Amino acid sequence: MSVQATEYRGSIHQQQKELMLQWYAALDRAAGNAAEQPVVSMMVSGNCVELLEGFGAVPLYPEVNALQLAIRHQSLDPILLAEELGYAADNCAYVKADIGAYLKGITPAGGRLPKPTLVLCNFVGCNTYLKWFEHTADLTGAPLYVLDVPFLRSEEPGEADIAYVVRQLKEVVARLESLTGRKFDYDRFQQATAYSAESEGLWSGIKHLAQRSPSPFDAYFDAITLMGPLYVYRARSEGVQFFRDALRELEQKPVSAEDEKFRLVVEGPPPYPYFRAFRDMFARWKACAVASTYSTVGGLWEFGFRHDPEKPFESVARHMLAQNVTNRNYLQRYEQIGHYLRAWDADGLIIHFVKSCRLFSAGQGDMREYFSRMGVPTLYIESDLEDPRYFSEAQTRNRLDAFFESLEHMKRTGARRMPLAAPQPSPLRVL
Amino acid sequence: MKIAAGVDVGSTQTKAVLLGTNGETAMLARALTDTGANVRAAAEAAFGELCRTAGIAHSDVAFIVGTGYGRYNISFGNAQMTEITCHARGAHFLCPGARTVIDMGGQDSKAISVGANGEVLDFVMNDKCAAGTGRFLANAAEVMGIGLDQVGPLSLKAAYPVKIATVCTVFVESDILSYLAQGRKPEDILGGVHLAIAKRTVSLARRVPIEPKIAMTGGVARNCGMVAALEKVLGASVHVSREAHFAGALGAALFALERTDESFESAVWRGEHAGRSRN
Repeated sequence: MSVQATEYRGSIHQQQKELMLQWYAALDRAAGNAAEQPVVSMMVSGNCVELLEGFGAVPLYPEVNALQLAIRHQSLDPILLAEELGYAADNCAYVKADIGAYLKGITPAGGRLPKPTLVLCNFVGCNTYLKWFEHTADLTGAPLYVLDVPFLRSEEPGEADIAYVVRQLKEVVARLESLTGRKFDYDRFQQATAYSAESEGLWSGIKHLAQRSPSPFDAYFDAITLMGPLYVYRARSEGVQFFRDALRELEQKPVSAEDEKFRLVVEGPPPYPYFRAFRDMFARWKACAVASTYSTVGGLWEFGFRHDPEKPFESVARHMLAQNVTNRNYLQRYEQIGHYLRAWDADGLIIHFVKSCRLFSAGQGDMREYFSRMGVPTLYIESDLEDPRYFSEAQTRNRLDAFFESLEHMKRTGARRMPLAAPQPSPLRVL
Repeated sequence: MKIAAGVDVGSTQTKAVLLGTNGETAMLARALTDTGANVRAAAEAAFGELCRTAGIAHSDVAFIVGTGYGRYNISFGNAQMTEITCHARGAHFLCPGARTVIDMGGQDSKAISVGANGEVLDFVMNDKCAAGTGRFLANAAEVMGIGLDQVGPLSLKAAYPVKIATVCTVFVESDILSYLAQGRKPEDILGGVHLAIAKRTVSLARRVPIEPKIAMTGGVARNCGMVAALEKVLGASVHVSREAHFAGALGAALFALERTDESFESAVWRGEHAGRSRN
């Protein structure tokens, strides 16, 4: 069976590339002139890029750098260096690649990476980040602020939780004013939340295009292309323009029924060191990911949440507390996936377990069992998002091929085990 | 007569089955060879042997399905399918009514939940670890200097099977050497090795989950000690056909035959080759 190219390369891909190169260029300039360009290092999940706009600060995302290294097949050397320094084999490979790359002076785009004005550990669900950002601050000599975002313990965050996070955000503002010598521009912050709300609405529109059959958008592989601008530019006019263009282009993208044989929901990030090979394993079966949880790490916007310029601090706090997948519990993730399976009319679920990520992956064995028992064809595969040593192409392909053969048989015989049973009542209903 | 073949290129051995149907379907030939380093040559050798045994030319075979890890290296195949799908089909054919298939091969062990028509409903496999596979047994046999064909029968004589602490194919060697140094009997050590593999395999299989009837396929199915150990751990009988080793190739051949004849009815053949229980 020959591989059918399903990857869409439209003008938005060129725009995405240019935007990301502009971002790296800004980081390079900041490395040369720290006083002129503040830089805040923070994590993607539940990021508060809107707040940074109040200082004209550029975000620096270590995960984005790490995954860029992996896609370029440059992650193993930094990982090995980190392991030489004492990082354990089962530590987060993003951390090891980031730390190793810093020590080796490797950067994804070849330019310089600046010393951050502030290392802002916007701790959202992932406790590894605490140590990662402590190490980053120690290595770079940059000051560290740990934002303590309580894990979501109920359907909605309580008022006390929101007030607690808002208070900390205001502390960050004061800290950045002191570090940059700039006064926080509240109007610009408010404008940033308005831009974000617009970008988020457009992004949500793109995600919903995948409800069409056939889908013009792969909400896993294509979504990853759009996620860079989503995290870096959503709070700026460039981001709004980008997502407006993307939605228009994808809405008009010609797609035929023959291009889509299977509709899937994918849980977990991709194996970035083998991104192309992994994508081809889906493409050869004309399988389209119509929804994915990984594309909601930054935010769960397809379910309606928007930043609010009328309550900018509160909406940033709400986003960090409840509107990203990593700060939510497993039952809530089950509901999210169940909703995708039903509303996006998927044939099955593929779970990619990441060996070096306990936060995201622990419990996925149970998740597989849960959805299998619900009658959802579910495949569980293991490798890593950053460390190429954990990926076996033959094994992964074999499992995917067998899964698609099984789905093909079900379709041919009309023995589709879906639809999913009615949603189970949950004490932590979310959506 | 319409003739079709299935070639299962596994990590250790290559199996091939030739089926013919003319109203009634029969296995015309089967072949077995070590895979070795040249996967393509192994597939060609097995297929060549099929043709010689049946006294037919290559061109007489209407359709060939390749399966196993080397399936994409079969230069003469018409289609490829995974061994998971093929083992389910082959096992269901050999053991009608089978709902769970435990396949133990050279480097894979897998459990497959099978539907009423031999289709795959669900499956789990070992991941990047050879514990619970034929390789684990082969290593143990080598350390003890006992032929692989002898380890099964010998393990059945174990009166006090040892406890194997490791599930690592490499480190099992030191466990075995330690027991040998303590003067434990080879049959007790092998009994322990078989139980360790069975426990690991059953733990894997419970994820599908396990439903009777249970059929076993793959090269390790020829090991009577392994079948007994699995039955002991499962607390249920395991059906092993005489052709269990060829289940993947047979499944591939059945799919190939379907491609040659829309009206192919596999049930014709079932009576001759139904599975038998070792109980």
